[in-house]
Amino acid sequence: MSQVFAIAGTTLGEAIRRRVLLIILMVGLAFLIIAPSLNQLTPRGERMVLIQMTLGILKITSAILAVTLTVYLLPNEVERRTIYTILSKPVQRYQFLLGKFLGSVGALTLMIGMMTLVLLVAFVIQQQSFDMNDLGPIIRSSIMLVFQMSLLAAVAMFFSTFVTPVVNFFLTGLVFVFGTLLNPIFESLGERGNQPAMQVITKIAHYAVPNFSTLDISTNAASDAGARIGGNELVYMSQGMLYALAYIGILLILAVLVFDRKEV
Amino acid sequence: MPTAIKTEHLTKTYSTRGGKVNVVDDLSIEVEEGEIYGFLGPNGAGKTSTIKMLLGISYPTSGNAWVLGKEIGDMAIHHKISYLPEKPYYYEHMTGEEILTFYAKLFNIPPAERVAKCKMLLEKVNLAGDAGKTISQYSKGMQQRIGLAQSLLNDPVLLFLDEPTAGLDPIAHVEIRDLILQMRDEGKTVFISSHELSDVERICDRVAILNRGRVEQQGKLDDLLRGGRIEIQADGVSDAAAEKLRTDGVIVSNHSGRLIVDAPDSSGSDGFLDAIRAAGGRVISVIPRRKRLEDLFVETVTRATERLKEGSK
Repeated sequence: MSQVFAIAGTTLGEAIRRRVLLIILMVGLAFLIIAPSLNQLTPRGERMVLIQMTLGILKITSAILAVTLTVYLLPNEVERRTIYTILSKPVQRYQFLLGKFLGSVGALTLMIGMMTLVLLVAFVIQQQSFDMNDLGPIIRSSIMLVFQMSLLAAVAMFFSTFVTPVVNFFLTGLVFVFGTLLNPIFESLGERGNQPAMQVITKIAHYAVPNFSTLDISTNAASDAGARIGGNELVYMSQGMLYALAYIGILLILAVLVFDRKEV
Repeated sequence: MPTAIKTEHLTKTYSTRGGKVNVVDDLSIEVEEGEIYGFLGPNGAGKTSTIKMLLGISYPTSGNAWVLGKEIGDMAIHHKISYLPEKPYYYEHMTGEEILTFYAKLFNIPPAERVAKCKMLLEKVNLAGDAGKTISQYSKGMQQRIGLAQSLLNDPVLLFLDEPTAGLDPIAHVEIRDLILQMRDEGKTVFISSHELSDVERICDRVAILNRGRVEQQGKLDDLLRGGRIEIQADGVSDAAAEKLRTDGVIVSNHSGRLIVDAPDSSGSDGFLDAIRAAGGRVISVIPRRKRLEDLFVETVTRATERLKEGSK
């Protein structure tokens, strides 16, 4: 595992120095800072609207960060020939891939953590109170966002083993949109559809594409019920995390199978 | 001598729009332990592709290869070999010391030993004073030296160096060459792919010349460069007498009244000297010239290319 952590550490170090990622992060942070003041312009400066809006910004920024960070991870290593020196050492291809993935997850966690911290501070300033009933749901949403973005990074990592970064960018983006917006619809069609053929197709689509909406608890966080964490929510979060980890595992195994046979 | 590298009919084929291309074609070579082996060829000859297969980074289409007695791809050999790629890139945000630490971790070297080893290698490649600078602040020569240092972290038995002196200034060039010779003195086997033929001629024990993936020449450098030419300079020889010296393979020229006879050394110098003296000429100098590697390289590649052209007609 020493090799995996060494590669992960280097990937993390390189990611936090990449200008394009820093620019996206800065833009995200700027939006998060000004969002609470924009909320005062809404007809009802409600807490719910504010939380949903800021968590939405956090999610979009994180998704752009995840895709931009991950699509170039492998191609850059090949283009710069760094991969040759690494693979000539006692490092298996799966260790290399795993190290790159863990490094990118580390970088994403750091960036989401930073944005969440700024969001919490902005929220406290805007609300002029430190109420854990308000802050708790935001923190829980951010934790789930880390899992959601790790899953997205795994999708991008899988595609990066056989497509170019530009194609990967669009494919991963498509999977994210599909998995966030359409997957819940397919899920319900698969269960309640009238035609058996349609039921099968929608069921396959539901299982083949990761369901990102399962990991999204921002709506719940914004509601009054989300202010208090209950046993059900803990179970829901745990199930979501397990779902993400299982999907990440499958995607990484597939990525290793492709990458193992790939000419670099 | 035990064998460090052995390949048998090693072939690598790529599919292109124009059909299949053998970038390495039926390659059979043997590299003995403790020697410096020069792997030469023009651009696109298949040198780097061969090295990548030997390192297990790329997979052969057919044929077999063994490195240190084990089949290529066996992870056990990766502890005993090292590689310096052509124009290596290292993570620019890292310092020289951090780069070495990173690669040392890939070898699972324990922390205490890692620190001592990195320090020793930085001193060995004359970078101890610049260990805290980032790679982006390093010159090309310094980057090449840190590359060599990383390739020595595991105290390898066999080193693969791909164009180790390409693009370096003369001082860095000599430094790298000396380091390679030092490695041979330490008993390591060095496999060098290079275009710097003067370097190869100075340091290699044996060479192979590749063209379009095929080995066209291979053997001991001394044997391959045997059979040079002799240059005889004389004056006072009439044009008619000079003309009589001209035979197959003998170049006779006249430079401002000075006769120059350039003949293969196999034809011997005595006959020419006698003929010059008999014609009333005076011998100024007799210079035996060893064949240069550059000549052998150009001759071999040109001949192979012409043969391929004829074959495709």
